[in-house]
Amino acid sequence: MYLKRKRMSRRRVLQGAGAALALPLLDLMQTTVASTAAQQPPKRAAFFYVPNGVVQSAWHPTETGEGFALSPTLEPLGKVREKISLYTHLDRVKVAGTDGHAQASTCWLSSAAPDELSPAGYPLKKTLDQIMASVTGQHTAFRSLELSCNPYQDNRESVYFDNISWYGHGHLAQSMRDPEQVFKRLFNVEEQAGQGSILDLVLEDAQSLQQQLGRQDLRKLGEYMESVRTVEQQIQRIRARQTAVQNRGLSLPEEHWTTMRRDEYIQIMGDLMILALRTDLTRVASLMVAPERWGTPLLVHDLFKDPIVHHSMTHGQGNENVRRDLEKLDRYHVQQFAHLVSKMDSIEDGEGSLLDHSMFVFGSGLSSGRTHVYSNLPIVIAGSAHGSIRLNQHHQSLPGTPVANLWLALARSMGVPGERYGDSTGAISLS
Amino acid sequence: MNYDFCLGRRTACVSFWAFLLAAVTLAQTELHPRPIRLPTPQDGLYEGEFHLHRSGTSRVQGMRGFGTEWSRDHHLLWDGLPEEVCKLQFNVRHASRYQLILRCTTAPDYGRFAVRLDGKLLDHEIDLYTPGVELAPPQTLGEFKLSAGIHAINFQLLGANPKASFFREDRYLLGLDYLKLVDLDPDHTTEIKSAVPRWQSSTFKDIQPLLAKHCYRCHGDDVTEGELNLAQLSSKSELVSDLDRLSKIATAIALGEMPPEDEPPLPVEHRQQISFLLKDWLDESLQANTRLANVVMRRLNRYEYNNAVRDLLNLKGDIYPLPERVIRAELPYYDPISGFFPDAVLVGNRTLGKFQVERQILTGVVPFAIDLQAEHGFNNRGQELSISPLLLETFVKLGRSIVSSPEFNAYCQDYAEVFAAPADLDKKTPAESGANAETFAHPRLQNLLSRAFRAPIDHETLHRYLRYFGHEYRKTSSFSQAMKATVAGMLASPRFLYLVEKTPQKQQPTLLSDYELAARLAMFLWSSLPDKELLDTAATGKLHDPEILHTQIRRMLWDRRSQALSENFARQWLRLDQLITAIPDKQRFPTYYSRIGCEYWKFGLQMMIEPLLLFESVLVEDLSIQQLIDSDYSYRSDELQTWYSSPAPFAEKGENGRFNTGQQDFRRRALNSPREGGVITTAAVMTMTSSPLRTSPITRGSWVLSVIFNRPPDPPPDTVPEIEADDDEIEALGLTLRERLKQHQTNASCAACHAKIDPLGFVLENYDAVGRWRDTYRSGLKIDSSGTLFGETEFTDIASFKAALQSRPEVFTRAFSEHLLAYALGRKLQVTDKPAIDKMVRRTLAQDGRFSALIVEIAMSHPFLHKASQPADQDLPDSPPSDVLEK
Repeated sequence: MYLKRKRMSRRRVLQGAGAALALPLLDLMQTTVASTAAQQPPKRAAFFYVPNGVVQSAWHPTETGEGFALSPTLEPLGKVREKISLYTHLDRVKVAGTDGHAQASTCWLSSAAPDELSPAGYPLKKTLDQIMASVTGQHTAFRSLELSCNPYQDNRESVYFDNISWYGHGHLAQSMRDPEQVFKRLFNVEEQAGQGSILDLVLEDAQSLQQQLGRQDLRKLGEYMESVRTVEQQIQRIRARQTAVQNRGLSLPEEHWTTMRRDEYIQIMGDLMILALRTDLTRVASLMVAPERWGTPLLVHDLFKDPIVHHSMTHGQGNENVRRDLEKLDRYHVQQFAHLVSKMDSIEDGEGSLLDHSMFVFGSGLSSGRTHVYSNLPIVIAGSAHGSIRLNQHHQSLPGTPVANLWLALARSMGVPGERYGDSTGAISLS
Repeated sequence: MNYDFCLGRRTACVSFWAFLLAAVTLAQTELHPRPIRLPTPQDGLYEGEFHLHRSGTSRVQGMRGFGTEWSRDHHLLWDGLPEEVCKLQFNVRHASRYQLILRCTTAPDYGRFAVRLDGKLLDHEIDLYTPGVELAPPQTLGEFKLSAGIHAINFQLLGANPKASFFREDRYLLGLDYLKLVDLDPDHTTEIKSAVPRWQSSTFKDIQPLLAKHCYRCHGDDVTEGELNLAQLSSKSELVSDLDRLSKIATAIALGEMPPEDEPPLPVEHRQQISFLLKDWLDESLQANTRLANVVMRRLNRYEYNNAVRDLLNLKGDIYPLPERVIRAELPYYDPISGFFPDAVLVGNRTLGKFQVERQILTGVVPFAIDLQAEHGFNNRGQELSISPLLLETFVKLGRSIVSSPEFNAYCQDYAEVFAAPADLDKKTPAESGANAETFAHPRLQNLLSRAFRAPIDHETLHRYLRYFGHEYRKTSSFSQAMKATVAGMLASPRFLYLVEKTPQKQQPTLLSDYELAARLAMFLWSSLPDKELLDTAATGKLHDPEILHTQIRRMLWDRRSQALSENFARQWLRLDQLITAIPDKQRFPTYYSRIGCEYWKFGLQMMIEPLLLFESVLVEDLSIQQLIDSDYSYRSDELQTWYSSPAPFAEKGENGRFNTGQQDFRRRALNSPREGGVITTAAVMTMTSSPLRTSPITRGSWVLSVIFNRPPDPPPDTVPEIEADDDEIEALGLTLRERLKQHQTNASCAACHAKIDPLGFVLENYDAVGRWRDTYRSGLKIDSSGTLFGETEFTDIASFKAALQSRPEVFTRAFSEHLLAYALGRKLQVTDKPAIDKMVRRTLAQDGRFSALIVEIAMSHPFLHKASQPADQDLPDSPPSDVLEK
């Protein structure tokens, strides 16, 4: 049963969530719905990644099942608790030979089993979001959307620390960091239109190269050609959506991302993601809050006076003061997630809210960053995806259950057929 | 000449004079005389006005008014009375037999001279009289054996030709365009013989007892550390069955990493016995093995894309702001052909300085995202550079935004030849003149495409682009619009965006085609496309000819575009990006910050330039690469010099405008203490490897291991205990940081790795968290910087550490060669590259470690000249991408 929601002001959502945010110009709250209003709204999937794990003692509630009492870190989800479920005792197998942090993010959603190693040594194969996008992307202007709130200006770490979404091993689904660029890409139809004929030209160039290349080169050229085709489709589809998008009268955020407050930055990127989902420009999106490790100090406004290094704190959590600070940071991330969940829930989408038709997954590739543990990963799912996921419960699996079992269930729920996912032993029951 | 900093001949001359002046002023103001430091040309051409040390009335005269034949448009001019002598000096880089050639100016008031070389009178007498002002033909003075160092050449005025007229009543003139030294024995390479005895007669039986005694406890049947069980490898054939493993074992023993410190020590002669035998087997197996690791076609990163577009279209400079091009200079200073790095350069820091990065160069042209460096590698590894729909979109837009930016027409120095409508283009209706326009476009596109795609262009491709041009021409009715659209297409083509080589079918390494070699060379030395000369040489099919190749490599290295080695390679090699975000604590290190308005600037902006200028000066002056780890000079701003030398730098200044954040002179400073010199101990490296409140010896040690030794430590284990972030807290316990860290290494597995890392960090403990020297910790605790290097050489402080490094020059030479080779190839090195590395290390050492020697060795090495077939990736998943889950 879905309730029809009243129009809700953005300011109220934000005030309700307890944040002192500047009011971004993006208007999520318009009531007009995407052009397919008559039909059943589509299912969407979104992922929210937090690096370096969470403090375990503050994360796990003591109760399981329905109506469990929220743990201190989960508290910010209180307002939406009927729309979320917690999953525990789900593990990934850590494979030796690559950095624990890099593998955590890069392989979080990977569909590879632990013994399927890419040449770079990671058990990395097409990730869950991209597997879903293979199906859902056939209908939308953009196959998927990858966003990152990586705030760092130095390039300290390799590509594996900075990404969760891969088309395949070695083939990165590159994320965008600059909200302005995201906005232009999604909503500036003019930008897209003029590219058509060049694509034909360069695609022919690519084809002419094929016969002289070896297998690894062909794979690289394949990435190129695949990208050309995707962009071609994108252009056609976005043309078809032109009027629907332009009528929304959207405008850009004014401030540059590098000078935004931390919470503002995360929320703006979240807003853009939600906008893309609600206007059905894409049905799959991911948002990486920050990259793994990256020992560069970062100012988290209003939370700490001085810049902090998240990674160092996770290793120092043996110290009580450090742990308390780290718990604050974990809670802060959950709060950012909770804001986005509230926003999605306030958006009317057919019979129900956008959240009701989505699965919005919060998680990290590490449970505890202190010793790089991959078992008992923190996972929260918000939204029932058209009632297919039971909410308001703490679903505890048997210890040692592969997280792939959950990914398999989610993939199926998004309409991807299949029986196995990496090292899965069977799909978790979502209902 | 189409690189950004040379805006034409005039500017080149201005800058030329700028550094000449700087050199002269400095020499005059110097209080204590120091040995003459003379510029030494790479090509043996000593310009009279530049490379020679002058005295008396000698001066420089511009000759453009008399013609264009004078080399560099200037000559040296001297005047005197009969019997007076014009004394000049020049520097010879290395001892050899040389032919000396003199080129003079002749004129009506020029004299007759006797010539002396190092005091010895030569047979030649020269008469410089002609009725007009002319450049005389080159005259050969003869062949001479010259030692390395300063030599004197003197011209004594004997009188003049009877027809000559006086200069200023009673004087005559001398005009010298250049002195040329032709090396008659250019191959100085004699491979050095190893002085160390070899254990040729050893067999596995000899070393097995040693392995059993020193290794089996941890690498045996009971305990198998690192998944290595030596007890099971009981014969030569078993050891050589896995060459990667064998190479790791041999290197770990040779460098003294194994056995670890807390084990009974392995005597040096036994260490050598084992490692030599294992290395011999390794070399033997590698020789028999003809495999070569393949490269994967690599996409341009944004620095390379910028250079390639700039050079393809002959633009005046960069297309977009590149913060990673750290050094910004208004006046060009980098001129490697001169062989001289100026004594002072006026530069700013684009990455960190105030108003140093350009806001925009061409309106609407923005760089794409920077590619992250591979772990322990560079951001040019084909395997790791992928393309996504997002990036493809970006490339398509980027190409268009460049040619359609409002500044483009004036910025493109080839605009008239490439884009402008031909004057005789028939202006009928567009549809009719389409064919005519295409006729004009044909040669232009052929030229552009072959340069953009780094090879002659096939008929089919050319016509594809011609059709595209025709289509655009009919659409826009504008020749230049259509040309621009076509060029934009070119810039998005995979043949431009990727370095593509035709993959050979057979297993054995295959020689690159001439064009492929040209493309690799241009990427390596310029991070750009081959230029016309290189492509023309490739067209002759002789680029693989060692002599021709050698000439091209040197030409490219002495071209200004080789600054890419500093901007793209050195910055990444040193991991200098980490300085961008280093934040020493503001209370503890207030002088690191300068306030301007409401913004704070970091002193790192000056520090960062120092190691890069050292690198560039070693390259330009062709010094030994050992200078990179220990030099007797460094380039520093006055403020940076104060930072190192003053007990309290900037103490008298408040935080407002505490130091210069823009451009300033960085001067060459002689260093007198082994505490300073080389990259390791620069304030830049010391600061970026520290945390806000204290040094971080482990970070420093791991930096030294990775950067200086190319032996990156394994990733830290999962259980990493954190220690206090502030050394005040540690010292309050009465402990030094070293003692505190020791307390934390609780088990043997920590100790094994840390024995390798930590000494390299502790030896730097005398440099505080912002790179300043300290004798003790703040609390007065003593600093212990002693340790052991390579498991055999004890050191007590940085001086003896550097001495130990210098005593084994092959260690750094090897590491640096490996870094450069990996960069040159755009792939990870494999054990099969070892024979090539061995060879380049040996030959580079034999040539005094000179930078150019190493570059030549790399560009002429087996892995660089060859390509290999591509095996299927080991049973790779999802190829082609599967859209459904496995059933």
